[in-house]
Amino acid sequence: MSTTSPATAQTAVELIGITKRFGAFVANEDVNLTVKRGEIHAIIGENGAGKTTLMNILFGLLQPDEGKIRLNGQDTVVGDPATAISAGLGMVHQHFKLVPSLSVADNVFLGMEIRRNGLIDHATQIAKTRELSERFGLKVEPEERVSLLSVGIEQRIEILKVLARGARTIILDEPTAVLTPQESRELFQTLRGFVAGGMTVIFISHHLEEVMEVSDTVTVLRHGKHVATRPTAELTKADMVRMMVGRDVSFDRRPREKTDGQVVLDVKNLWARDDRRLPALRDATFTVRGGEIVGIAGVAGNGQTELAEVLSGLRPASHGSAMLKGSDLTALSTAAIREAGLAHVPGDRLVRGVDGSASISSNLLMGRQNKAPWSRNGILDWRAAGNQAVEMIKRFDIRARGPEDTVKRLSGGNIQKVVLAREFTNDADFLLIDQPTRGVDIGAQESIHDEIMRQRASGRAVLVISVQLDELLTLADRILVMFNGRIMGEVDGGSADSERIGMMMAGLEPGIVSDEVAS
Amino acid sequence: MEILSLFNVALLVATLRMTAPILLVALGGSFTTKAGIFNIGLEGQMLVGAFFAVLGSIWSGSALVGVACGVAAALVFALAFAVLVVSFRANEVVVGLALNILAGGMTISLMKAIFGTRGSIVGKGIVGLPKVQIPGARDLLGSWAPLINGFTPMVYVAFIAVPLLVLFYKRTRLGLYIRVVGEKPEAAEALGISITRVRYIASLLCGLLAGLAGAHLSLGYITMFTENMSSGRGFMAVAILIFSNGSPLKVLAGCLLFGFADAFSLRLQTFGFPSYLILAVPYLVALTALFALSYRSRPKIIRETLESMRKLLSVDNKPAETGKQPLT
Repeated sequence: MSTTSPATAQTAVELIGITKRFGAFVANEDVNLTVKRGEIHAIIGENGAGKTTLMNILFGLLQPDEGKIRLNGQDTVVGDPATAISAGLGMVHQHFKLVPSLSVADNVFLGMEIRRNGLIDHATQIAKTRELSERFGLKVEPEERVSLLSVGIEQRIEILKVLARGARTIILDEPTAVLTPQESRELFQTLRGFVAGGMTVIFISHHLEEVMEVSDTVTVLRHGKHVATRPTAELTKADMVRMMVGRDVSFDRRPREKTDGQVVLDVKNLWARDDRRLPALRDATFTVRGGEIVGIAGVAGNGQTELAEVLSGLRPASHGSAMLKGSDLTALSTAAIREAGLAHVPGDRLVRGVDGSASISSNLLMGRQNKAPWSRNGILDWRAAGNQAVEMIKRFDIRARGPEDTVKRLSGGNIQKVVLAREFTNDADFLLIDQPTRGVDIGAQESIHDEIMRQRASGRAVLVISVQLDELLTLADRILVMFNGRIMGEVDGGSADSERIGMMMAGLEPGIVSDEVAS
Repeated sequence: MEILSLFNVALLVATLRMTAPILLVALGGSFTTKAGIFNIGLEGQMLVGAFFAVLGSIWSGSALVGVACGVAAALVFALAFAVLVVSFRANEVVVGLALNILAGGMTISLMKAIFGTRGSIVGKGIVGLPKVQIPGARDLLGSWAPLINGFTPMVYVAFIAVPLLVLFYKRTRLGLYIRVVGEKPEAAEALGISITRVRYIASLLCGLLAGLAGAHLSLGYITMFTENMSSGRGFMAVAILIFSNGSPLKVLAGCLLFGFADAFSLRLQTFGFPSYLILAVPYLVALTALFALSYRSRPKIIRETLESMRKLLSVDNKPAETGKQPLT
């Protein structure tokens, strides 16, 4: 444990006894956090553990109910972000707040424009952006329009924004969630450079790999409470998980028996357009066999969504075919596709997975409302629906007050379990699972993975789309990597290394590995 | 042969003249469009501007006071719009329509109450805006002089406002903030830019220009007020704004097109075409132009279809030509 005495300039940030309540819900309870100057301090915890709340309090976006904040050894009331910024704090949010039609330099200086004779001096802004970018090794082209840039570069701009405001302590909220492994590595190098220059970095994450890789100190939060603050070197990944979840969780590749099933899904030369009518899925060709889990990897927005939508009938294909046991999904309605043997766990569960304001039993009934025993002579049998719900709540360990509980009251993980419960009991031959554990706690992730493995064991063909590579490495027999709408290549799930997959996720052909990646 | 005689300096002059009011009101709408507010209340703001400009002019005997009254009335409407839409988050279409209806009804009843007439206010001591004579214009340009000389002041204001607005959006802080608030409100919020304040300012700037446009209608070339005299120009401006996305240069282009159509239909009348057909000309032009603009995005789609078709053909053909070849 660090026992830094207060009021020394050795500490960049000190939070003492912070408590924050939202109504009856306690987001942070008596949390203490000491961040030393010149370190990379990771804050980890499950979703809802109170990480983001704590950082929002530190940055003045929320006011604590109890406790105090010391910045650089000085008691400070951080009433608003402006106070935090003037104390040398900077925050890079999880969702970027850049203006697409403006140039990089305009975005960096937005809110603190450099003016001459009352007019914005674009030339000076560009020069200063270039200077900052060179000084901190964050490569950007100041005159480019942000709408043309990749997510990785957008993040650099966000960091430059913070630096331009004179930040010495930088808070990053899940910075790598949107990056390829290579981009993440570059980010870590930049962060290392920052602390080498005497700056301080606080970053929120639940990717334990990268916490191990880059941080000096780790603070673990669980259910809004401070669990521990330790030097990273003293911890193993398993220690961290135990502290985060409060018990042991296995992360290893799931053991499996080799299967040799029939081809269930046969996709050939499948093309589709996105909502802007641009080609988003380009020439996808692959198969999924019974008793096999095929994973689709890729940075979000590279055609995975469109692929899932075409296969589930929510988006027309512009060309190509997707045969599910002899019927072409691209020619069928959504209802007919389900009849043909598709079960679909959509990526956005609240939009397409459930009706949030309906009960669990109604949600579980959806799609089978015309079938016996739930419907007799065209009249719904609510008792059968209720019985089904009770049974599924037990089988899938859905934490709810009862079958009539409203779905939107449940946590993300439990909502996901409602969707899984409905889809996995459909007797479909093909399971399309988009982001199985997005926004789901580590504990619940494990049980969802268990369930997917059971589906595999029962001989179903499973297609898992996920932006979390770890998840695919845990589950998949084969992994297909998508970039810019194309399937870049296939790797074996058992022997895959994330390096090679990362290359393909960044659009590089496997084999052409160079040092100048993603610049 | 005779038709060709339509196209002369007089037609161009008439185009500029007809463009001015719609340009003014559309430039006003550019502020709200850029700030992310869909403002269909332009028509009403323009109408009350026109009415109160006439009223002010009669009461004071001064055209300038008249213009000020018109602007003030339009600003009141713009403020009401902003209060409802920005502060109370009412639906902008509903509020805009309501204010338009209010403007129409209010001007009619006030006319009845004050002048005891319906239909129009003519004479009664209305002082119109003077025509601006630019010294030396005639010597310099000869028969082309009317192109820059002898318009009423609002015509100059309208056309000069275009480059000023370009500069405003590019180089001033307020202009930048208006764009940011419209395009990415959460970015503005994160940087401490008050969305509410910026939207209020944009709404009021819009009211200012809409009021000027109204004053131009009733004190410009004709000095009178008639019921519903804005006659859809505010809605035309809304159409232009949708397609130009509020960019001043595109707004200018759109307004010139309408101005030209207006002027052209006026000229056609001298050729004895049925007047109801002629009055439809500007609207036909509007439809055609809007269709043409939206049609522009088509070639891209066609290109993409061709791309996937080519893929299809090469996949289908190759095995046939070269025997067995693995698909890539």
